[in-house]
Amino acid sequence: MKLVITNLTKTYKNGVKAIDNLNLEIGTGMFGLLGPNGAGKSSLMRTIATLQSPDSGSIMFGDINVLEDKMALRKVLGYLPQSFGVYPKMSAEALLDYFATLKGISSKTDRQALVKEVLDITNLYDVRKKHVAGYSGGMKQRFGIAQLLLNNPKLIIVDEPTAGLDPAERHRFLNVLREVGTNCTVIFSTHIVEDVKELCNDMAILNGGRILKQATPSQARQELQGRIWTKIIDRDDLEAHEAQYNLLSSNYNEDNSLNIRVFNDTQPSDDFKSVEPQLDDVYFIALKQDEPVSAV
Amino acid sequence: MFSTIFFYELKYWLKRPATYIYMAIFFMLSLLMAATTAGIFDSVTATTSSARIVNSPIGVNNLFNGLTILIFFLFPSIIGASINRDFKSEMHSILYSYPFTKANYLFAKFFSAIVIVTLIVLTIGVGMFIGFRMPGTNSDLVIAFDIKSYFNAYWLFILPNILLFGAIVFAVVTFTRNIAAGFITVILLLFVQGVTESLLSDPDNRYLAALLDPFGAAASNYYTQYWTAYEQNELHIPIKEVILYNRLIWLGVASLVFGLVYKFFTFSQNAMSFSFFKKVKGERSTKRNFGGITKINLPKVAHDYSFIQNLKATWKISNVEFKYIVKSWPFLSIVLVGLIVIFIVLVDVGNPFGTSTYPRTWLMLQGGGEFVFAINICTFLYAGMLVNRSKIANVNGLEDVTPIPNWSLFLSKFIAIVKMQILLLTVIMVSGILFQLYKGYFDIELGLYIKELFGLKLINYVIWAFLALMIQTVIRNPYLGLFVLLVVVIGIPLLTLAGVEQAVFKYNEGPGFGFNDMNGYGDSLSNYLTYKFYWVLGGLILMLTASLFWVRGLPHSFRERLSIAKSRFKTPMAIAFVVLLAGFFSMGYTIYNATNINNDRYSSKEVEEMTVEWEKTYKKYEDYAQPRIVAVKVNMDLFIDDRNFESSGEYAMVNKTETAIDSIFLNHNDYPSTFKFNRENTLVSEDTLYNFDIYKLKEPLMPGDSMTLNFTVKNKPNSFLVSNSPVIKNGTFINNMQLFPSLGYNGGELTDDKTREKYDLPPNKLKPLPSDSTALGNTYIAKDSDWIDFEATVSTSEDQIAIAPGYLQKEWVKDGRRYFHYKMDSKILNFYAFNSAKYKVKKDKWKDVSLEIYYHEGHEYNLDRMMDGMKASLEYNSENFSPYQHRQLRIVEFPSGGFAQSFPNTIPFSGDAGFIADVDDSDEGGVDYTYAITVHEVAHQWWAHQVIGADVLGATMLSESLSEYVALKVLEKELGKPQMRKFLKKSLDDYLLRRTFERKREKPLMYNDGQGYIRYQKGSLVFYALSDYIGEDVLNGALKTYVEKVKFQEPPYTTSIDMVNHIKAVTPDSLQYVIKDMFETITVYDNRIKSATSTELDNGKYQVDIEFEVSKYRNDEKGKQLFSETGRDSISYLPEGKTKPILSLQLQDYIDIGIFTEKDVDGKMKEEQLYLKKHKITVIDNKISIIVDEKPTEVGVDPYNKLIDRNSGDNRQKL
Repeated sequence: MKLVITNLTKTYKNGVKAIDNLNLEIGTGMFGLLGPNGAGKSSLMRTIATLQSPDSGSIMFGDINVLEDKMALRKVLGYLPQSFGVYPKMSAEALLDYFATLKGISSKTDRQALVKEVLDITNLYDVRKKHVAGYSGGMKQRFGIAQLLLNNPKLIIVDEPTAGLDPAERHRFLNVLREVGTNCTVIFSTHIVEDVKELCNDMAILNGGRILKQATPSQARQELQGRIWTKIIDRDDLEAHEAQYNLLSSNYNEDNSLNIRVFNDTQPSDDFKSVEPQLDDVYFIALKQDEPVSAV
Repeated sequence: MFSTIFFYELKYWLKRPATYIYMAIFFMLSLLMAATTAGIFDSVTATTSSARIVNSPIGVNNLFNGLTILIFFLFPSIIGASINRDFKSEMHSILYSYPFTKANYLFAKFFSAIVIVTLIVLTIGVGMFIGFRMPGTNSDLVIAFDIKSYFNAYWLFILPNILLFGAIVFAVVTFTRNIAAGFITVILLLFVQGVTESLLSDPDNRYLAALLDPFGAAASNYYTQYWTAYEQNELHIPIKEVILYNRLIWLGVASLVFGLVYKFFTFSQNAMSFSFFKKVKGERSTKRNFGGITKINLPKVAHDYSFIQNLKATWKISNVEFKYIVKSWPFLSIVLVGLIVIFIVLVDVGNPFGTSTYPRTWLMLQGGGEFVFAINICTFLYAGMLVNRSKIANVNGLEDVTPIPNWSLFLSKFIAIVKMQILLLTVIMVSGILFQLYKGYFDIELGLYIKELFGLKLINYVIWAFLALMIQTVIRNPYLGLFVLLVVVIGIPLLTLAGVEQAVFKYNEGPGFGFNDMNGYGDSLSNYLTYKFYWVLGGLILMLTASLFWVRGLPHSFRERLSIAKSRFKTPMAIAFVVLLAGFFSMGYTIYNATNINNDRYSSKEVEEMTVEWEKTYKKYEDYAQPRIVAVKVNMDLFIDDRNFESSGEYAMVNKTETAIDSIFLNHNDYPSTFKFNRENTLVSEDTLYNFDIYKLKEPLMPGDSMTLNFTVKNKPNSFLVSNSPVIKNGTFINNMQLFPSLGYNGGELTDDKTREKYDLPPNKLKPLPSDSTALGNTYIAKDSDWIDFEATVSTSEDQIAIAPGYLQKEWVKDGRRYFHYKMDSKILNFYAFNSAKYKVKKDKWKDVSLEIYYHEGHEYNLDRMMDGMKASLEYNSENFSPYQHRQLRIVEFPSGGFAQSFPNTIPFSGDAGFIADVDDSDEGGVDYTYAITVHEVAHQWWAHQVIGADVLGATMLSESLSEYVALKVLEKELGKPQMRKFLKKSLDDYLLRRTFERKREKPLMYNDGQGYIRYQKGSLVFYALSDYIGEDVLNGALKTYVEKVKFQEPPYTTSIDMVNHIKAVTPDSLQYVIKDMFETITVYDNRIKSATSTELDNGKYQVDIEFEVSKYRNDEKGKQLFSETGRDSISYLPEGKTKPILSLQLQDYIDIGIFTEKDVDGKMKEEQLYLKKHKITVIDNKISIIVDEKPTEVGVDPYNKLIDRNSGDNRQKL
């Protein structure tokens, strides 16, 4: 099923336009929504997840008009917000049973079987009797996935789920997500480019409430083939290079020299080497192009 | 650093709208309260009249402190929040690494919050100041502004209380990092304060209570509780000893609490935690860091989104919510403290004189009433907690995207609240049953518990739950919501003061219900349930409104919520609204119609105006000669099933005056009646409002001539919500004054002079003085008769017995009804009653007087005590005063009311006033009040039914004071003199306390205006003391002569002067002052032991040296102290080290000096009197030495509290 967002706009009371006439089409599979902090990712996701109403525009998921018939979407929706809490003094098992009830599973045995399964999947079965409030960050995120699975969702929205997870937890999380996302639409927001690279078959870059670019990760990199150049420079030369070239990123090396990446259709100069484009480059180029033109 | 944080905090609060909202609420509240007490609503409702100045120092102190208590509920969200904000915003993780000291941080936080609270308190002061002076307030109730009153109330009580409670809340929130904890602490503190207060309510514990009351109220009461009206209006609360100790103690506690915060507070990441168990040994923990690819194969489950499933889910969610409530410790602590309160109340319930009552189930339910506050607080608080629970726990992101409908979520909160209420009501039931079992009482009426708690009471709480959910949903801040709800709940009943008198306009108001053993709930339930049903409809409308505003997801402004609400208002919702509104309004209209249109309902303002009109129209006939009723013959038919009565009667009347009577003024009531005179007449004036008709006789009734009046009276049919008949299903008790016509203008005027002035009425004359010989024509019982012949036929249903004064002539059954014909063979006052119920009868005899008790089956407990009381009283009165005038004496039970009343040979006695007393006969037991009341009421057969005073001041001394005296004397014979101290002390305390509520004027005993505290409490003290001074035999001898002279007399009737003269005649000259002090003036002693020592002498005896003070003063009628008769003759004494001398009237007084020891009797220490003698006292400061045989343990001046003394506690001193 396809998620089609048309002309979506949302302005907050403080005057911030969090979503600015946004159009987006998302098909089955993992969709990465990449954007810096404050880009409007969460606003967009909350709006899709029926938690807030846009000022205008429409959202269609298959034939569900999300803004008109929220209940219909909620039946097929799995949502994991960027931050969430749990009720204190409740075990994972009890809490999942509670969510299963909210998600319309009437039979007790059904609920028990399902809860057991999602606990297994998320590797929480051993700690199912423990209070969720006492879980570590990774466990809590996995619990988030567990609750999201309970209604066998067709549309899964996860908002920056890997932030703050250690590498092992991050991998585990992404694997589970990948597994559940095979047959449905998964929208996955992050500001970590790595996540998208590893996971997504489609992606978009969002900033300032607008989609800057939509493409598959490989396609996006393909487009940049032969246009990314690198060079090692002294720290003192950075400003000059910044002024002269379309600088995408700069990283320190161990000897305090800088490794810079530059975007250019042709080799800027002889001391630049061509490198394989990375998704980071796609991300920075998109953001760079969106930057307001400042007087240099 | 301190000032940086301090001013930052202040700025924060001053920028928040909440601060100004609180200020506005308190300002309005105090303005309104002050203006109301000062009579601003007098134009819409009845006139506020009082002898109290509302802004006297005490008035200001009480109102100011009372309103400040409400602020305590804001402490968690102001003082607690000041520190909790840093935790909540997780600012503390950064902040606590900054370079400021603990002291800077804590003090700045605490004191900035205190400053904000103080600002709000200030608005209370300003509100009161303006409120008292609002245009339209009654200027007689207000005196000039005195800043000292406000200032003292503030720094002496309010500020220390704020610091104390603030420190406690601050401590609790700091350590738990939880605002709710602070909140519960406030509630618990208030509870605990109430509990300590009731535990220390015994007068003997007053000093302790004064020190231990954290609010300081008991401390100021220590000095002011006996203050007379004058003193309350004029004096400032003395800032001395007990008050200062109390304040220092609690300021000490406050500093201690704050000190503990300082000591234990650390700038740490996590809240302190306490554990009752040993810490589990730490274990190294690692998690699995590898693996994790799983195949996901979710089991196929059915997802059901149907209505039925949503209902099931609702129930399930409500269980989860309910579990949350029950497991939360605020709930547990409220329940725990509530339970303690219940038990304390149950121990105390129905104990008027320290004697317990058998724990009947209805009494247990009454006691459980103290739990109301706990249930309401839980309802209000948890409505807020549940509504905001997912938001607070930040689960709403997960919960709100599930396909559960809003109504299901909302309804589940409601169901959870109701489940909680049921649990709390079960707690009442269980504690009641446990208490009954603990008392060894097994007549447990489980059905009654269930019906009352889970039927009648629950519905009331559910209606509050509707309102609570509505307000909490709209406000979305549980503490602010709770505060608003408290203001609403306190405010609703106060609407009456503003002229909104009818329950139909006030949420969840309506008639209550009452239960008693005889009549069950009577007919109270249908009215109660009608109103409750009406408010359920109203509550459902609130629920629907709330559901429109239910928050799903993350709306960002109230405007957005409003537009969401608008979009939710669709057809089904609109229909529900319309249906409910239609139901609510038609029900409301039906109630209004039944109580206002089909029934004459008068507001208190209208009643006041009617009273004025009545006096203006008819007072002129007051002295118009009327015939006197000399014989009454009535038929009274009681129709129990329909609660109707039909009666007819005949008055025989004689013109006892010396003028011809040309008109009859017939004063009746609004029962449908007919009147027929046997002389030709014309009805010249018929007044259907005041029911005062004037019949002009064709031929005047000449002196000595007689005539008759035949009348019929029945009730209007009882209708929906309005009962027009005093007949009840079991235990009817009606007296003639309620039903039957009387002759002439019979008073009933406004008494308050200020109110009278407002309506252009002349000042209210007191009743005439007893010295006014022209005013002795009527008894104080009736204005249209002297002594009458009486005969009555009463009929009732076949299973009941009907009783009226007189002897049973004949009893028969006809057409399924039972008839009783009673006839009195001697003259009685025109005052009789009818009783009817399913009675059991107990019979006995005293000499040839037959004694009967008509009682409710199951109330056998104290019948023997009552019989003994009847006999003892008959014995004492007939031996000392005159023979008993009847051949029979009956006690007749009626359902409730807590009193007994003496009619000729018949004493209706309420079931809850002695029939179910559980008397403890040991010395430690309380007053056997069943016995005492019986003796008192029987004594009325002499002191009212033989000797009846004229309708002048002091008349009740002849009946009530004497009956009370007889009761004390009979008790003294039973128990011995030393045991009398507890009765006397109780009477003294009651007298001193109740006189402080005097609204008009206090007169000396023999000129009393009918006040209970004078005629009962003071009367009994005075006659008891007098019998001690001049001797019981001498006093009774004088009374006997007096009774001989005046019993059954025709007018002019006797007065208190007559009786006092008889007493004076037998009193030696040296004691004539006693009569003056006790009867003719209000005289108060201040006696105390200053020091006492005992030394063993060589001969084995003991010399006791006592230094004591005696002084006395008079009170004028407002309670001002006068130390001199003429203005120049007071005596004084300046104690060492004091600057103010003690003043006194001249003393030539005889005062008891007593010396006591303790003896071991059967393992218990009992007091024994070694010495008791009256000493002549002429100066204030006295020293005496007395030699006694045994080792003394205690001495006393007036040790038995026979004299009136405002500090009875310092009359004795232990050695």
